[in-house]
Amino acid sequence: MLPFRDTFFMIQNKWIFYLISGLVVAFVVLVFFYYVATWKKALSGKTNTNKRPNIRSLFIAIKNVFLGIRIFKDDILAGIMHFLIFWGFFALLIGTILLSIHEHIVKFLMGNIYIVFSVIMEIAGLFLISGTVIAIFRRYILKVKRLQSYTEDLLIPLFLILIVSSGFLLEALRIAQNPQRWEKWSFVGWYLKELFGPGVSEGAYPYIWWFHAILSLSFLLFIPLTKLAHTILAPTSIYLQNLPKEDGDKAQMEEEDSASEGSDKEAQLPQRPFLTLSHLIFLDACMRCGRCVEVCPSTLAGEDYAPRDFVQGLRAWVWQSFSSHGDPRLFTERSPDKMQRIWNCTTCRACLEVCPVYGPTFELVMGERTLAIEEGTSVPDLLNQTLERLYKYENPWMSSKKEKLGWIEEGSSIGFITKSFKPEFCYFVGCTTSVDPRARGIAKAFSNILRSSGLEFGIFGEKEPCCGDMAKRVGELGLFEEKKMSCSDLFQSYGVKNVVTSSPHCYFNFKNEYPQGMFNVFHYTQLIHKLIKERNLTIKKRLDFTVTYHDPCYLGRHSRIFNEPREIIRSIPGIKLIEMTHNRENSLCCGGGGGRMWQGNELNGTERMSERRAKEAKETGADVVLTACPLCLIMMEDAIKTLGYEKNLKVMDINELLKMAIDEEKR
Amino acid sequence: MKELKIIVCAKQIPDPEAPFSAVTVDSKKKEVKVDAPEVISPYDENALEAALRIKESSKAFITVLSVGSSLSDTVLRKAIAAGADQLVMVEDDSFGRLDSYSTAYVLSKAISMLGEYDLILTGRQAGDWDWGQVGLILGEILGLPTINMAAGITVRDGHVEVSRLVPAGLELVEAKMPALVTVSNEVGELRYVSRSKILGMLKKRIPIKKVSKGDLNLEPEFLNTMELLELLPPSDMRRDCVIVEGATGKEKAERLFEIIKQIL
Repeated sequence: MLPFRDTFFMIQNKWIFYLISGLVVAFVVLVFFYYVATWKKALSGKTNTNKRPNIRSLFIAIKNVFLGIRIFKDDILAGIMHFLIFWGFFALLIGTILLSIHEHIVKFLMGNIYIVFSVIMEIAGLFLISGTVIAIFRRYILKVKRLQSYTEDLLIPLFLILIVSSGFLLEALRIAQNPQRWEKWSFVGWYLKELFGPGVSEGAYPYIWWFHAILSLSFLLFIPLTKLAHTILAPTSIYLQNLPKEDGDKAQMEEEDSASEGSDKEAQLPQRPFLTLSHLIFLDACMRCGRCVEVCPSTLAGEDYAPRDFVQGLRAWVWQSFSSHGDPRLFTERSPDKMQRIWNCTTCRACLEVCPVYGPTFELVMGERTLAIEEGTSVPDLLNQTLERLYKYENPWMSSKKEKLGWIEEGSSIGFITKSFKPEFCYFVGCTTSVDPRARGIAKAFSNILRSSGLEFGIFGEKEPCCGDMAKRVGELGLFEEKKMSCSDLFQSYGVKNVVTSSPHCYFNFKNEYPQGMFNVFHYTQLIHKLIKERNLTIKKRLDFTVTYHDPCYLGRHSRIFNEPREIIRSIPGIKLIEMTHNRENSLCCGGGGGRMWQGNELNGTERMSERRAKEAKETGADVVLTACPLCLIMMEDAIKTLGYEKNLKVMDINELLKMAIDEEKR
Repeated sequence: MKELKIIVCAKQIPDPEAPFSAVTVDSKKKEVKVDAPEVISPYDENALEAALRIKESSKAFITVLSVGSSLSDTVLRKAIAAGADQLVMVEDDSFGRLDSYSTAYVLSKAISMLGEYDLILTGRQAGDWDWGQVGLILGEILGLPTINMAAGITVRDGHVEVSRLVPAGLELVEAKMPALVTVSNEVGELRYVSRSKILGMLKKRIPIKKVSKGDLNLEPEFLNTMELLELLPPSDMRRDCVIVEGATGKEKAERLFEIIKQIL
């Protein structure tokens, strides 16, 4: 006889089962339609999400769903937990659907196929149970700090354990009544059958079957009502977040158009014109896992900001403002208060780097800032003054345009770009590098290096505008547009084709926020890397230092330039490079980005972000901490001084170190 | 409730918060030049903020009034973008260097022309000459109860209540409106006015009223220009800091001695 099993063994009125299933599915679909209706209202007709299908982001979504890559990252136990629950749940769901197909459409679960099926179902059940046990263990016994617990966090795993154990019980009862040889492949049930005599099982079986069935179906009911919504929304979010960004310029224009329209009908609905469909799905896909909280430099420094809380606050606001029948989630944050904290974020992108659903929280913070800037009354005084200065004097510092030349050493011949002098490269020095006494070291060293390489370059000097990065990050989009225009016009009128920047912020801004293809842009690390590779730079000296390298956020995480700086450092003979605990995409922000450089101390927490980073640098035992950004340089220099490390640890820009190695004269 | 009519007097000046290196003092022309757009005098911005806060809690119509020469609506437009309802520019080439009394006189004439009002707000002093007279003289000419140095202003039942800066702290005074109040920075900085708001003004028709000297029936004997005898740049105040390095205290002292010898 072929191994098989009777799907509805001892069960009558199986139509009731199908009726309930149908109702459950209809309910789930209905609630998800409710989500969509609310999102649509929040978007008020805007369709600012890229709609073209994209294979790459589909691949990322599939990879993350089936392997849970981001969940394994830096937390193997969480990864195992999710892997077990996901595969257990997924296999059992598919298994149940297959059983229905077998019963009503095509009989195929027989013979060896049935045996394989049985074994897989057993393993899936065990996966699911052990995954949920790990989940409870992590949350309530290990008490993993980043987890924030609501009632649903206990209810859901208990629910799952109950479903799976009733399933195994059912199987044991069935096998106990008719122990066929092949049933030993359903090994859990096979062992458990010893507990029951045939008499017991016969009476109890139908009751337990219905208990199991109704339990399982009601579990499905809870999918859209709890954090389980992520089973549908997380894959969608991952897919949408990884779509290529629309042309920055176009998206911007649309955003502004809708913003100006919004102001005319202000009275109707509160507006968040920066929200896109992908943002809204992310807000609902967020599981509150707190990975962002764990890596956020602001939270780490004890400041009153946490990306997760911001996201949950914004989510609460969306549902409060746009839903017709309230928030469908049974257990969640209801108050939008936490989204008020918008000036702490340094836009360092660490939260996005670890988010399992790829949520760009810093982008949402920047969006909130645009509203605060337009509204005007909640802009901190210091930021207000800084933006005024940026508008009037082309830099956010207390400096005039004239001072932009202050870094040029006497006797050094630096060419100014004119109508008759159009060098191959325009060196865009940048505001901070031009005027800050410490950061000027970057420009001094870099211009020296360029000269010894023989590369033809020039600067705009007093004419050089601000690239507008700082305005963009704090949400002053109008000022940013003005700066973008003055830069673009200047580059165009002098026929600038290649731009090299000191600052990763200018680099990122030119590369991503300006019209594509107008000019090529390089960060200095890329250019120097190229010069060294093509043997245009000769390193003459051996430097016996141990160094460590701090990845600037806008060079590393935002622009993915991790290797070039390291290769430049390693090309200097004698240098030993050791990494800090947080390096590359896990680097810790110095606290200078996103406009924080020009914010007051009132945002500070128990510790400064830069001091945290400086301590980490010190722990490596290096003599020098290197960086490649003027803001990082200033922040780290300050931190090292306030911590009293300056005797043992120096802060240098890569340019400054390299210049020491290529200089012929004695230092 | 009746709509409050508030007039804020605002002066256009070279940016007093300009970085030192952006400022040139032209002793010949007796002019101070700042390499940047001109601004609304900061205390006048505080006055505007005070007016806007009153407007937030009660119905109000804010008129910003400026007297001067070569006034720029790109500078003063900021006041409208911030939330004022009307801009009145009284402009004449001869108004560039009016003395305090004459400025107050021109303002008073312009204010009478504007009709009824409840509250006049001015900055405690201008950011360029810092004399602090115009507001008080204006109150005198118009015969209004006048309170200076306001750190906070509230309006209720036809009265204005002002917490006023005094050396020992604050004193609370009340006056029946119409009244004049000169405002100090303690009131709070003018809310941020975004560039897109200011530029948005370019597209819309802004309520600007331009008034010329002829419209005001001014009597020439009250129009006196101040004469600058001399305008000199401040002496060079730059300081340098040198940290004397050395392995031992003695070495450091010797080097310090050398440096002092050089200077003397």
